[in-house]
Amino acid sequence: MDWDEFFGLDDGSPFMMLIWILPIAFFVLYGQRIQLYISSSDIKKSIAKLSKYADGSRDELLQYLGARKEPGRIDAFLDYFTIMPTDLDPAGIVPKIRHTVRSREDHTRRQLKSTYADLDEYELAKVQTLLEIATSLRLLYRVVNHLYLTAKKQKNYPLIVPLQMMLPFIMEEAESLSGAMSAFKLGQPVGDSIGPMVVGRMMLETEKRPAAFQTVYSETEYDGRTMYLVKAQGPAPSVGRLGDAVEMILSKNEIDAIIMVDAALKFEGEDSAAVSRGFGAAIGGIGTEKFQIEQAASERNIPVFAIIIKESVKEAVTVMTQDIADRADDIGTQVHDTIKQNTEPGQSVMVLGVGNTVGVQQ
Amino acid sequence: MIFKKKTVTIVYTVRRCGSCGKESRSEFVAGDCLFAGSDCPCGKKAMVEKIFCNTMPAS
Repeated sequence: MDWDEFFGLDDGSPFMMLIWILPIAFFVLYGQRIQLYISSSDIKKSIAKLSKYADGSRDELLQYLGARKEPGRIDAFLDYFTIMPTDLDPAGIVPKIRHTVRSREDHTRRQLKSTYADLDEYELAKVQTLLEIATSLRLLYRVVNHLYLTAKKQKNYPLIVPLQMMLPFIMEEAESLSGAMSAFKLGQPVGDSIGPMVVGRMMLETEKRPAAFQTVYSETEYDGRTMYLVKAQGPAPSVGRLGDAVEMILSKNEIDAIIMVDAALKFEGEDSAAVSRGFGAAIGGIGTEKFQIEQAASERNIPVFAIIIKESVKEAVTVMTQDIADRADDIGTQVHDTIKQNTEPGQSVMVLGVGNTVGVQQ
Repeated sequence: MIFKKKTVTIVYTVRRCGSCGKESRSEFVAGDCLFAGSDCPCGKKAMVEKIFCNTMPAS
């Protein structure tokens, strides 16, 4: 290669050389900073949206409380934080996490009850759920804003790259949570309610008994098998305490199989409302309930079967779509098939409707 | 697509009567919940069988 020709030096003009060299030097020195500015403008737009969602959910909650609203108290609730137990010594950490999370839930419930003494349990559960959504949105805003400002302050482009990569997922979740407010306010079943919906339908006409906090169970027969049906107590928004319920039922009864019905996140490209069967404890959340159920089942050598309904993040927390609602009968049939295929007449099976039971009676 | 199409979401409540089998669909009103009972014109009880939303383009 003729380097003189390449750099425009063949005609001996230093000006031509500058045209080449200066931009290269400029981009070498300032390229990252330019990228930081370009990325910053996208992130700034997303942060503005997150701020709008966070403020909007707070305003919606205050609007829902109407004359009872106490903005100071609500803002204090929104700023509550939870310090998770240390995992330096992970053995025995699950009960500690469960204790911390439940303490927080119980405290919030007690505080809300004392602040809004005129609200019944159903309305209190709704307010608590709306508060949780508003807290999550505020936390998302604060974390993203913190990462952005840190990267900007230190003019550190590599710091902003992971944020830029994660932002579409964070925004999807924030948009879904923001859309969930109206469903929970009105007590409409959401996509995640499909598990309680299927089990709740089976529980109709049966005697419902308390199994654990905000959780009910009933006993019925199917094809010679005894069925123990468990779900969170609806129609208030709650996921119940299925882990405690399973432990309680297993301590008193001989169970031969556990079937869990839950909504699960679909992969991109998969159809919504598709139903799949598998093995293992189908339950989300922070993992403590899952741990409890797995522990109780493995100690007694009980197989755990899962029936999942695939949904997107948005479908899971916003009002149930017709496609999902229409699958309830099919899922019920699959539960019965699973029972017939895996148990003999005379045996017992526990069916758990996992998910938020907002708007779903039993 | 530069502009997003505007959509409206309507939530429906579907009731079915256990006796006459009549199915009726109405817009969701506050207080509706799945498996709650209501009166059917046949004199028996209808039950809320489904609550779901439909999203359609705004006209």
